[in-house]
Amino acid sequence: MEHLVLTPTGKKCLQSLLQVWLNFDLALSKVPIVQRLEQERLSLEDYQHLLVNLRQQVIEGARWITRGASSFEREFVDVRSNIISHAKEEHKDYLLLEKDYVATGGDLVVIQSGSKNVGTEALHSFLMYRASLPNPIDLVGARWIIEGLGNKMATKWSKAIDNQFSFDRSISTFMSFHGKNDEKHMAELYELIDRVCQSEKDVTAITQSAKVVAKLYQLQLEEVDNHQ
Amino acid sequence: MGNDEIEDVLGLIHGKKSRLKNKILNSNGIKFRHYAIDKNQQTKISNSNMAANAGEQCLTNSFLSKKQVEMLSCATSQGDLVLPGFGSMVQAELNLSAVELHTSHGICSSSMMALKAAFTNIKSDETKNSLVIASELTSRLFKHTRYERVEGKTVDFNAEFLRWMLSDGAGALLVENKPNSRKQSLRIDWVKSVSHADAYPVCMSVGLPQTEVVEGSYTKTWQDYPTYAEAEQAGALLLRQDVRLLDNIVSVGVQGFIKLIQQGYVKPGEIDHVLCHFSSKYFKSKIMTLLDMAGIAIPEHKWYTNLYERGNTGCAAIFIMLDEFIKTKTLKADEKILCMVPESGRFNCAYMQLTVVDPI
Repeated sequence: MEHLVLTPTGKKCLQSLLQVWLNFDLALSKVPIVQRLEQERLSLEDYQHLLVNLRQQVIEGARWITRGASSFEREFVDVRSNIISHAKEEHKDYLLLEKDYVATGGDLVVIQSGSKNVGTEALHSFLMYRASLPNPIDLVGARWIIEGLGNKMATKWSKAIDNQFSFDRSISTFMSFHGKNDEKHMAELYELIDRVCQSEKDVTAITQSAKVVAKLYQLQLEEVDNHQ
Repeated sequence: MGNDEIEDVLGLIHGKKSRLKNKILNSNGIKFRHYAIDKNQQTKISNSNMAANAGEQCLTNSFLSKKQVEMLSCATSQGDLVLPGFGSMVQAELNLSAVELHTSHGICSSSMMALKAAFTNIKSDETKNSLVIASELTSRLFKHTRYERVEGKTVDFNAEFLRWMLSDGAGALLVENKPNSRKQSLRIDWVKSVSHADAYPVCMSVGLPQTEVVEGSYTKTWQDYPTYAEAEQAGALLLRQDVRLLDNIVSVGVQGFIKLIQQGYVKPGEIDHVLCHFSSKYFKSKIMTLLDMAGIAIPEHKWYTNLYERGNTGCAAIFIMLDEFIKTKTLKADEKILCMVPESGRFNCAYMQLTVVDPI
């Protein structure tokens, strides 16, 4: 790992973020679609719904990240660069989701014309709002949750999907893709924590945003089963 | 006995050597263990007998006579009898008169629950002391004949996994309302446990046939078959571990640990020794690296275990560990010992902090 959290405030922030993550991880285990996925009792239709729902959030992901980058003022110019390069790396992730959907036999038009579920709407709105405020350092908390989920998808969920379905082409490329740059992303995130988390107030703000994002992400997943 | 003797005792299933054995032993790191059954799978000492022996030895090392014992609190995963409670059988074996009795039922963490019952009883001045005993005789579940009775020739991985993990043993502690005047004591600062059975399916069980475990619904248990023979045939009497769920115990264990830090119960910098009912491979997991980075990891040199020499004895393990720890280490007053027992049964994690107290 290239960078580790070194400052005392950074360590405190990481401790707090770890707690938010573990509570979120536990809460996710009670979300019905996640239970079925992890216990390998997912129907193909379930998985297709999940992909359609995730896509509507992922396609908007690059927007809040780039919006956030542009909200950082000159004293955070280095942070701005970090975020821009991250956004560039991930701004086409939704294409993988679409590819997986088609590989399951889904119609491209359906996933492309899907709308945001209630949770996605709330999550996206929150992220866009925070990203629009000056120097939104609390978004580190949002990124922590989303990186954590990426890791969970790559290490756990993609395997569970592969175990319960068999197709000629992989249908879990979106989930497994997140494992590839994991180390690098985490190192960048730790560097960010050290850079932007400089006071108790910062720890609180970052933790609060992590909690909100976790809760809204949970809502987004709960809503996957609420389709017409 | 060593790992090469395990199959001599438990027997070869359908006369064949296990293909999984070495893989599982390599990952759990256990080198030696004890069995209460012999090479003909005959029980040499019952579970309640073993428990009573541990209790006897504990009292012999104490300054208390049997007559003065006010409470007996026992734990096991499976007693010799289905009913009555294990504690009743142990009390009779120990010949303890008119004690308050408690039996806690569960898997690895049941000993901590038995200890907590004793601790709270003493704290509320209900009793002045309590003998706490945890004992396990799981080897009886692993006899080759048990697997051979199951329909179908192949043994499923989840049913075989624990055959190479668990072994027999017993441990006992005496809890009193004041420090000993002649010997060093350990003060119980607190015992906390948190269960997450609502969040995850059953991970370790006896009583479910394989299909039920896989599908995650528990409608048909061993008692729902017309005869016990049919339950056995269906594999509902085998001890199983759903290994896919096992990773969750690490995150759940760490979640509880961080919660205790945030609540002010644990101050990682002040912990001198950690006794954890855990396999060493978790030290290398990502989450431990994160704890380290967050400045709340307890350095590896402070961790003590005798798992590799004494085997994984389920609920008895933490008492057996604590016993050997205090007998082999020189402890200084005010040193703090953190005990952790994360149970994978259905995700119950127990924690306890002890402080070394010199004789007054």
